[in-house]
Amino acid sequence: MKPNVSIIALVDVIGALSDRTLLNGNLGLVDDGSFDSTGQGTPSLCTVVEPGQTVQWTALAVDLQTPVEIRNITFLRADGAEAGEPAQEEAQTDAARLDLDVWSGVVPYLPPGVPHKYRLELQMYDGANSVLHIDSPALMCQ
Amino acid sequence: MPQQLAIIVLVDVGNALESGTLDGNTYLFDNMKLQGSTNQGTGELVTAINGSYWLDGSQASEQVLNWLPYSLGSIPPTVPRGYTAERARQTDQQALADLDALSVKPPATDTEAAAELGRIKRTVGTRIKTTRRTRGRLSGQKILDVTGQVVTDENTGAHSYPAPVITDVFGAAVDEKIMYPAEYGSPDLVTDGWYWSATVDTSRPGTYAYSMRIQLHRLVQEGGEALWQPVNLTCQSDIKVTSAPRRNAFTKAGVGMLPIPPSPPRP
Repeated sequence: MKPNVSIIALVDVIGALSDRTLLNGNLGLVDDGSFDSTGQGTPSLCTVVEPGQTVQWTALAVDLQTPVEIRNITFLRADGAEAGEPAQEEAQTDAARLDLDVWSGVVPYLPPGVPHKYRLELQMYDGANSVLHIDSPALMCQ
Repeated sequence: MPQQLAIIVLVDVGNALESGTLDGNTYLFDNMKLQGSTNQGTGELVTAINGSYWLDGSQASEQVLNWLPYSLGSIPPTVPRGYTAERARQTDQQALADLDALSVKPPATDTEAAAELGRIKRTVGTRIKTTRRTRGRLSGQKILDVTGQVVTDENTGAHSYPAPVITDVFGAAVDEKIMYPAEYGSPDLVTDGWYWSATVDTSRPGTYAYSMRIQLHRLVQEGGEALWQPVNLTCQSDIKVTSAPRRNAFTKAGVGMLPIPPSPPRP
């Protein structure tokens, strides 16, 4: 078992902003975990992890000249409801330095076999429709 | 952020040649407005270079600058590279076809023939003279206007200028080893296959000035022939380097457990 699992969000920013969606192939999620994750390369990646592993998320833009950053990652409750307070407003004022954020954390004990979905919000430059999110990716313990 | 920054150097070539300076005739843009660049679209652009470092002090992200000179009053840089040569060839072929038609079916009077020849001569346009100094891609081409038509009277001044060329990046930021510029070859023909690029040392925050030497071309008449005379001008800009520690986004401090809510048991 690897101590670290990396999850890369590969974003076609021009496609996403044109379609106003992260679907239609505008976002691909990939991980390098040791277990059999499902949905590699799709927005519905289910990363299989074990408690104690450190997971790190990184956003990469297909077009290197277009800035893209992870705005927020929020774990959802099992019924799909959002967990906790959305960090939206706080993140707003801090948008200029999203590049300082390192999205990583240790997997706590989780009931095995249950996908824990999370909301991935991506900030693509600036403007009214610059933040897009998906609720489909998940972490799951074996 | 490990991203490439593009700095567009837009030059009003006609006015810069007329006034002999790039001051007030250069407009600078970059793609870091969101990250704090100021004075976009003016000659006083301050490019924000946001560096970051890990908690052990090592550099966490590097910055790469790319300068792209664009021009006001030129054929757009997005047309194919051989466009001017292609247009010159087309007008030559048209003139040959017209001459051919004239020889097959000569006009009734000499006056008409002279008028017809004069028209053909005008549509052929003017070739730029090749000298040792101006040899290269510009030489042997014809003078075109911004719509790609051959200019029949170059004294009207309605011609398109060759795109500006950055020939050097220098100044305080380079002398103090904040940035390391170099010219690179590129397969990207929009930038004519060459561009200036620099990596920036983000470990020493501060505002640093740098200068660009830019070559423009003036159309001059010499001994009844037209040629592009190179004109070297400089303009200045600034980079503002900042550096800040990276932080964990979940905890805003060190690494902790992922904030996963307890799930109800599966039904």
